[in-house]
Amino acid sequence: MNNGVEGDKNMDTEENIIEIRNLKKSYDDGKIKALNGLDLEVKKGEFLSIMGPSGSGKSTLLNMIGALDVADEGKIKVAGIDLTKASKLNEFRSKEIGFVFQMHNLIPNLTVLENVEIPMYESDLSTDQMKERALKLLKSVNLEDKRDQIPTKLSGGERQRVAIARALVNHPSIILADEPTGALDSKTGDVILKLLRDLHEKENVTLVMVTHEPYVGKMADRIVNVLDGKIQN
Amino acid sequence: MSYLKLILKNPFRNKTRGLLAIVGIAIGIMVIVALGMVTGGLKASTTSTLKAGAAEISVVQTGSGNYGSGRIDESRVTDLLNISGVKETAGTLRATNTSTSGSSTADVSGSSTGTGTTDTSSGQGSFGGFSVTGMDPDKLSLAGIEDVDGALYSNESTNEVIIGKTTSTNLDKNVGDTINLFGKDFTITGIYETGNFMTDAGAFMSLSTLQNLTNNDNQVSSIAVKIDENANATEVSEAIETAYPNELSTTTAASMASRMNTALNTIDTANWAISLLAIIIGGVGVVNTMVMSVFERTREIGVLKAVGWKEKRILGMILGESVVLTLIAAVVGTVVAVIGVVALLSVYFSGTIEPSFALDIFIRAFVVAFVVGIIGGLYPAYRAARLSPTEALRYE
Repeated sequence: MNNGVEGDKNMDTEENIIEIRNLKKSYDDGKIKALNGLDLEVKKGEFLSIMGPSGSGKSTLLNMIGALDVADEGKIKVAGIDLTKASKLNEFRSKEIGFVFQMHNLIPNLTVLENVEIPMYESDLSTDQMKERALKLLKSVNLEDKRDQIPTKLSGGERQRVAIARALVNHPSIILADEPTGALDSKTGDVILKLLRDLHEKENVTLVMVTHEPYVGKMADRIVNVLDGKIQN
Repeated sequence: MSYLKLILKNPFRNKTRGLLAIVGIAIGIMVIVALGMVTGGLKASTTSTLKAGAAEISVVQTGSGNYGSGRIDESRVTDLLNISGVKETAGTLRATNTSTSGSSTADVSGSSTGTGTTDTSSGQGSFGGFSVTGMDPDKLSLAGIEDVDGALYSNESTNEVIIGKTTSTNLDKNVGDTINLFGKDFTITGIYETGNFMTDAGAFMSLSTLQNLTNNDNQVSSIAVKIDENANATEVSEAIETAYPNELSTTTAASMASRMNTALNTIDTANWAISLLAIIIGGVGVVNTMVMSVFERTREIGVLKAVGWKEKRILGMILGESVVLTLIAAVVGTVVAVIGVVALLSVYFSGTIEPSFALDIFIRAFVVAFVVGIIGGLYPAYRAARLSPTEALRYE
């Protein structure tokens, strides 16, 4: 795939979309070791749950996969791009990654439709094409009728569905969901999880979800546990 | 939604803060535009005193403090023709006709008083009266009067007068109407326009008539001197003063205009100083507004980075929002200044000073607003663009 991101593409096998070797990340001048030699492989199209207690390093791992942060040591290759060598990380995020946060993080003064359009500003799409694609996504999360609403008028579940539509709008290879049901009641959380799983299957997109709730984790194809910055076997 | 629409939408997320920032900048812009319009109008009027055909030198009595308050023997009008370089001379007598509730007064030494029916002081505001000049009609070009709508008064007439455009407007008088000056009714034979706000706010009549009305027989208050094409105004002026020491003093039109322009340039400098101060205050307001905006939107900026926005797009968005604020302020400030200046000048100066609508005044205002927007938004925009996405997303 020619995704325009500059980096080394000769590191992993074809079937692994994420390949991490001995990844290390520390904060506060090395006093806090968030990741401590972590290894992980994720297959293309897989639904992976990352579980672990607070402070175990699971969110840091997600940030590394999403190129929101850079590693101190080790190798991390995502969607064919060696992130330790890549220079245009914003381009990588724009084309390969869709984020779903615990707090939906929608822009409050923009309408639902405008929020979904936001990730497409770095693309070459016209405003009409952006609108068309955003509407299609809103339809797939059953929020087409809310397109002109502002986020504060929506329920928590609806906001998270908008966030999912926003994450998918650039047709990313991977969806990274950080506790996507953490701020929702269990019933709404189930709806969101089902939606995420359906879209993952329908769009054949790799889904990596951080959660600390076992019943949520069990919905995934595979669960990995992170403890003290490492994957536990 | 286009990127531009997003930029236009964002500054009003916090309406109160946005409006306060706009007011701060608008005050500075208002000062720039208002003072520019007034000083521009005065400058245009000053420039018109140098128009071709008008006298280059004005001769008055030495030691006469006020313009036109001294007296010169009328024989000097012909005597000055003997000075080398003098081409033409014209004696003028200037008197002020003030009237309230129908009474008119000739405000000249040895003046006469009378009663009349026309309130000629209305609309003259702080210029304090209605200036009437006595001058031979064939010499009016030396006063800058080239064309008259209607006809000139005749030299022998005792009841004819021409009035300036501003006077005509202020008094609602036209050719054929009657006007009462110094207690006597005059028929308006013509209306002139020179571009000089003082001249256009007055009236001209026969010199002998005004001399009779104000008991100034054989006396003039000043002599207008037109020089030969190749003559030097300064040298001719010196020659006149040397020929009539302690009797006649001269002022060249160029030096008078220069003095007025110096004064106007001082006002211009003050304009810039006041504007600069206002801009600094407004600029600080913009910086504050944008810094607060970036602080409040830290998580949002983190999201924009997470979805792949480049640093320069975030930088452009914040800078754009800052410029939108200041350009709106420029529009508001300009509109308020134009309405304010036009209203104030029409109420207090009643057309004697015409505001300038020179394009450069408005361009200057908008350029200043744009620059304040860029400078004011630069730091907050840089700060937003350089935010670490993970830190921004963690921001509470």
